[in-house]
Amino acid sequence: MIGSLSGTGILTAAGLWILAVVPHCHGQQTAAADEFFEKRIRPILVQRCEGCHSRAAGKAGGGLLLDHREGWSTGGDSGAAIVRGQPDASLLIQAVRYVADGPQMPPESKGGKLPDEEIQLLEEWVRTGAVDPRVPSAQLGGMSLQQARTWWAFQPLPTLAQRLQPADIDRALQRHWQQQGLSVAPPAEARTLLRRLHFDLTGLAPAMQDVDAFVADASTTAWQAEVERLLQSPQYGVHWGRHWLDVVRYADTAGENTDRPLPHAWRYRNWVMQSLNADLPFDQFARLQLAGDLLPEAQGQTKADGIVATGYLAIARRFGHDIDKDIHLMYEDVIDNLGKNFLGLTLGCARCHDHKYDPITAEDYYALYGVFDSTKFSFPGCEPKGQPKDLVPLADAAAVAQAQQDYQQRLAVFEQRQQQRDAGRLSIRQLSDRSHRILSSAAVGEGQTVTLQSGVPQGVPGGLESLSLKRGEVLQLAILPNGNYGADTTRVQFEIQRRSGENPATWSLQDVIENFIPGGPLRQQRDAAWCFLEITDGPQFLTDVKPAIEGRQELSAWARGDNPAVFVNQSNQQVDVWTRLNPRTVFVHPGPDRPVAIAWVCPEDGQYQVQGVVEDAHPAALDGVSFRLEHFADPEIGPAMVALGQAAVAPAESRPAPPVFPVAYAVFESAAKNARVHLRGDPEQPGAEVARRWLTTFGGEALADPAGGSGRLQLAEAVVRQPLFARVIVNRVWQWHFGRGLVASANDFGSRGAAPLDVQLLDMLAADFVAGGYRLKDLHRLILSTNAWQLDSRTADLGDPENQHQARFSRRRLTAEELRDAVLRASGGLNTAVPEGHPFPPESTWTFSQHAPFNAVYDSPHRSAFLMVQRQRRHPYLALFDGADPNSSTAQRQSTTVPTQALYFLNDAFFHQQAQRIAERSELSGEDSEAVQQLYELLLQRRPDVNERALALDFLASYPGTVAERRAAWVRVLMSASEFSYVD
Amino acid sequence: MKDTGHVHRRGVLRSAAAGSLLFSGVVKQLLADSGDPLLAREAPFPVAAKQVIFLFMTGGVSHVDTFDPKPALTRDHGREIRADHPEIRDRPGYERIFLKRPQWRFRPHGQCGTEVSELFPEVAGCVDDIALIRSMHTSHSNHYNATLGMHTGSFAFSRPSIGSWMSYGLGTENRNLPGFVVIAPQQTYAGTQVYASDFLPASHQGTLVVPGAEPIANVRPRVARDRQQLELAALRRLNERHLEQRPADAALASRLRSFETAAGMQLAVPDAFDFSGETAGTLASYGLQPGQTSGFGWQCLAARRLVERGVRFVELIDTGSSGNWDAHGDMLSHVPLARNVDRPIAALLKDLKQRGMLEETLVVWTTEFGRTPFNNTADAPGREHHPWAFSSWLAGGGVKAGITWGETDEHGLRASVNRVHVHDFHATILRLMGFDHEQLTYRHAGRDYRLTDVHGEVVQGLLE
Repeated sequence: MIGSLSGTGILTAAGLWILAVVPHCHGQQTAAADEFFEKRIRPILVQRCEGCHSRAAGKAGGGLLLDHREGWSTGGDSGAAIVRGQPDASLLIQAVRYVADGPQMPPESKGGKLPDEEIQLLEEWVRTGAVDPRVPSAQLGGMSLQQARTWWAFQPLPTLAQRLQPADIDRALQRHWQQQGLSVAPPAEARTLLRRLHFDLTGLAPAMQDVDAFVADASTTAWQAEVERLLQSPQYGVHWGRHWLDVVRYADTAGENTDRPLPHAWRYRNWVMQSLNADLPFDQFARLQLAGDLLPEAQGQTKADGIVATGYLAIARRFGHDIDKDIHLMYEDVIDNLGKNFLGLTLGCARCHDHKYDPITAEDYYALYGVFDSTKFSFPGCEPKGQPKDLVPLADAAAVAQAQQDYQQRLAVFEQRQQQRDAGRLSIRQLSDRSHRILSSAAVGEGQTVTLQSGVPQGVPGGLESLSLKRGEVLQLAILPNGNYGADTTRVQFEIQRRSGENPATWSLQDVIENFIPGGPLRQQRDAAWCFLEITDGPQFLTDVKPAIEGRQELSAWARGDNPAVFVNQSNQQVDVWTRLNPRTVFVHPGPDRPVAIAWVCPEDGQYQVQGVVEDAHPAALDGVSFRLEHFADPEIGPAMVALGQAAVAPAESRPAPPVFPVAYAVFESAAKNARVHLRGDPEQPGAEVARRWLTTFGGEALADPAGGSGRLQLAEAVVRQPLFARVIVNRVWQWHFGRGLVASANDFGSRGAAPLDVQLLDMLAADFVAGGYRLKDLHRLILSTNAWQLDSRTADLGDPENQHQARFSRRRLTAEELRDAVLRASGGLNTAVPEGHPFPPESTWTFSQHAPFNAVYDSPHRSAFLMVQRQRRHPYLALFDGADPNSSTAQRQSTTVPTQALYFLNDAFFHQQAQRIAERSELSGEDSEAVQQLYELLLQRRPDVNERALALDFLASYPGTVAERRAAWVRVLMSASEFSYVD
Repeated sequence: MKDTGHVHRRGVLRSAAAGSLLFSGVVKQLLADSGDPLLAREAPFPVAAKQVIFLFMTGGVSHVDTFDPKPALTRDHGREIRADHPEIRDRPGYERIFLKRPQWRFRPHGQCGTEVSELFPEVAGCVDDIALIRSMHTSHSNHYNATLGMHTGSFAFSRPSIGSWMSYGLGTENRNLPGFVVIAPQQTYAGTQVYASDFLPASHQGTLVVPGAEPIANVRPRVARDRQQLELAALRRLNERHLEQRPADAALASRLRSFETAAGMQLAVPDAFDFSGETAGTLASYGLQPGQTSGFGWQCLAARRLVERGVRFVELIDTGSSGNWDAHGDMLSHVPLARNVDRPIAALLKDLKQRGMLEETLVVWTTEFGRTPFNNTADAPGREHHPWAFSSWLAGGGVKAGITWGETDEHGLRASVNRVHVHDFHATILRLMGFDHEQLTYRHAGRDYRLTDVHGEVVQGLLE
């Protein structure tokens, strides 16, 4: 059943609002009551009320209709208007009585309060049961059933005996023009045609060589060859993709109160362009956009393509502060666009009430609502709910799972190593706590110098002169801040001599000065090791390199953060910075509450002597430091410390990054559920549940998926099966070629839309389109080969000044995108490659709010179809030249002429800059007369005539300034000329 | 009225062909003689007002601290109340709410005795020219939605701005200036949507003026005047030749002329914003230093100069979407904001009156919503968003001056008497400008749209 309407089909449809005419008990009493109504009440209602409360008036003030019984019994926004038998409880009676604090009807502006006798009649009527014999005719939304059944746009398409030829179209139009008594324009000349064709198919001007070659080619196949060449150009998909993006109100932001960027929406945009280039059959193009995630892979489309295609649904505008609270508005945006876009029906009108003019009920609307409410839409984030989520991965599930598993493993290994490192540090602390003994300690006052020897407690035999140390044991000199801000620059000398064994030797801290930075914070020296440590919470190596402190090459440090640090003056000169630093000296600098230490790991068992000095080298500070020399008498500590140091200086192992999968801003299935009607569009007032089903007027078939899905797949099938579906797209294509559709209201094929120019012609085109497999490129070939498309635009038949009948070609202004592309291309600055996303700030940095919403304008060398378009703030350039509305479907661009556009040509910085680049193009001749011709060829794809050449040369001769300035000015003049902005 | 010799019917009707521009009702009638969308037109009802200055205070001005005296709120300070209020529903910490007294004193002013708080001492001096509405209410408690609603009548969707509707209805009287100008130092909530023409032709969109050196984009010549003259002359010759070969194309003719208009704008716009001809006294009354090119005083004086030059609708936005009247934290932030606008607004009213322009100029003062007369503690220094009640006022052409209209309840919680919804406010403004809000419609996407959607009643009591 392809769109044919049968009466039974409608009458059996679910949820249909047809009121059976069931007279209540017939009898004399009723007859009298009917008569009372007809004679007394109906005239009052007609005269006093129905001006604002009837379908005939097209108004339902406060949601209330008083032109039939169910109107007042269902009532308006405030509920039922009449309670039978109870005038005092009836809102209608209260209103006509002019009760304070309620609506007072009729209002002053409509004649004011009723005469008392009329009020009394109404009261009497209500008291006696409000008998009202008026029932509506069998009605479906805004049409009678009869109208809906016979509405032209819903009829099945004819069956064609053979494929349509261009001549068939021309014959149909000739017939139409004859009927209208219109004379037909002659064919356009070759150059005009070629320029028209190039802009039409690619949005770009031809090159002069293209024009010359085409004009010179007298063969009969030249036109077809050029059409074919352009259809194969990738620029075709960019240009015609942009047409489609207009209709689906594509934007790069979500439109909710913070207008968050949609960093993944570009995939849908590019998919549209690729699909058009590939001439994907249009029915499949539509199916994929509605349910690509549910369709099997086919026709060169991958699973990922199918997901990306549903970006069509996801790019629906989001509303409000908390998107989820206004989700019903997003669904309206989806249903509204779906209706206009694919079917030319204003379905969104049925959100609050049955459609006023077309056969669509509120129940129909909520039947579709259920389908989308059973679908999960990618979430763009919003002010109270943070960052995006529910983005759809494009890699297949197995790959995602594998990568996730790998990631988890790498993460586990990383975390294990981290733990080991921490454990090592803590075990050193445990060992040292058990084994340490203090050899020497002292406070170092302001500017004082204290020897290690002087801190040795009384009664320690041998002092620091003879220490018995074992291999692996550690001596550690800690410098501690006093209070919590004793963070002073402290000079340290620390020297250990072995006095026994075969190889007496000396290890001096002084030795680390050479190669201080390359040597690292773990410095091995002849089997011993120096360790530079922070010891606040177990030993931690000072792993941060600080070269050229205060810009002095000779000063460098190992530190953690700024402090604590071990640093050196490597030069032979004293350096005066924050304090005076001696030549070739090691300093340490504790942090606040963060002691620093230099540990030495003993290389072999023996007797050792320790010497050293600690000096507060920054006397200006407040309270000096302290030191503590300790011996850790456990041979395990040294190796543990060396291991810790080696781990610390090993190239930092960064935390493994989670795998990044390409994701789409798209949709997927969610728990399937039916929606309830929102009474008067208010989600807070749920009415009856409506099963998910197709529009009643088209048969109302169930959309519930037997497998428990949302019904989106079934919806997609239902949409593409409608004859309207083919009619609407064929009409759009006609409009994009001719500037005007056969139905002038391309988004509205309902009763308020424009009447078709020729129904038969449109039907033939639609039928042929379906028969040929929904190929847009075939449709282009057909239309572009008609005589009608190749007519001249200059001859005006005064009988049709608006060219409603298309007996000549309609001259058109370039779109905003075409104009900018033309300028950029002429300057050599246009990049025709297909870009991906926009340079949005990373998601992790988003703090957008309604007080500080996202706002950006990005410059781009790419075609203007790729400019970043925001919903809350129009792109300044696109808005100026009638760009598409990013908030609702743009069936056709406006073409306004406003002086601010002229100001753009006069003074815009970008325009001036490009003109200058063009004037400075290297291929331009030094001779003005030659350059004038070159510029005409470059910008207007033709050669100047004698007068034009003279005008140009005059201009160049009289204009002051340098050659470059004069030429740039002339380029601006040419690019501001109407000829540049218009296609004949 | 200049430049109306050429009739440009096609430009408009071509759009009509797209099904997006079918004039209806009164306006269709108005345009029957001319398709030029910006042609100056008479409104259908004879009225005094010819232009509007719309003063928008961003962020939500507290009514109980400015124009709506509530002694009972002072008396009952600290009393716990209950309200199913959209801003506190399910909000942690707001389980209990308490009345919070006004922080400024009110006293009667003028002959009429209208009470105004000490936050607006200068405007208070103008109450005899003002119709103060104390019973305003709106449909949303978010800045974004309420601001959009106050400007477009729609609380969610993008729709044409009130200024665009006015430009659409009345056209412009000065070809060298836009018909609808918005002077705003920053963008307010909902961005450019608040002055967008949306589905109305782009010629009706608000032109943004940002106080400073180049108030309108691209209005400053980029080349010397003599050079530009040469360019314009050459361009004109090219365009005339082009047009000669394409007779009867009104769009091309209109485009040709638009360059002359643009050239005129390059002079007229700087002239409108050049205050050097204003007396020292005038500048001082607006609180302006000579040479100053920013501040609300600058915006107010610019507004007077623009309406003087025939601009139909001038909107002044005082601040942007942050740092505004949104006093959650501390009501004392109202002090500098009020000081910023009080004197300039009073100066504007007096200046218009003294020049005899107030009769033909409708001045509108409003905000997007009020602020709660309660908070979660009585001592909380701020107030929250409050859509249930706020104050706005009208002055000038056709307005019944020196009255107050409507009341809130004793605590300023709800508009209670003669309630005026934003839609009613819009209907009344349109009526004052000579339009029936149900008749000023535009056919778009199969429907006749209007500023007031399907709502709105004219508040007759505000009309003279």
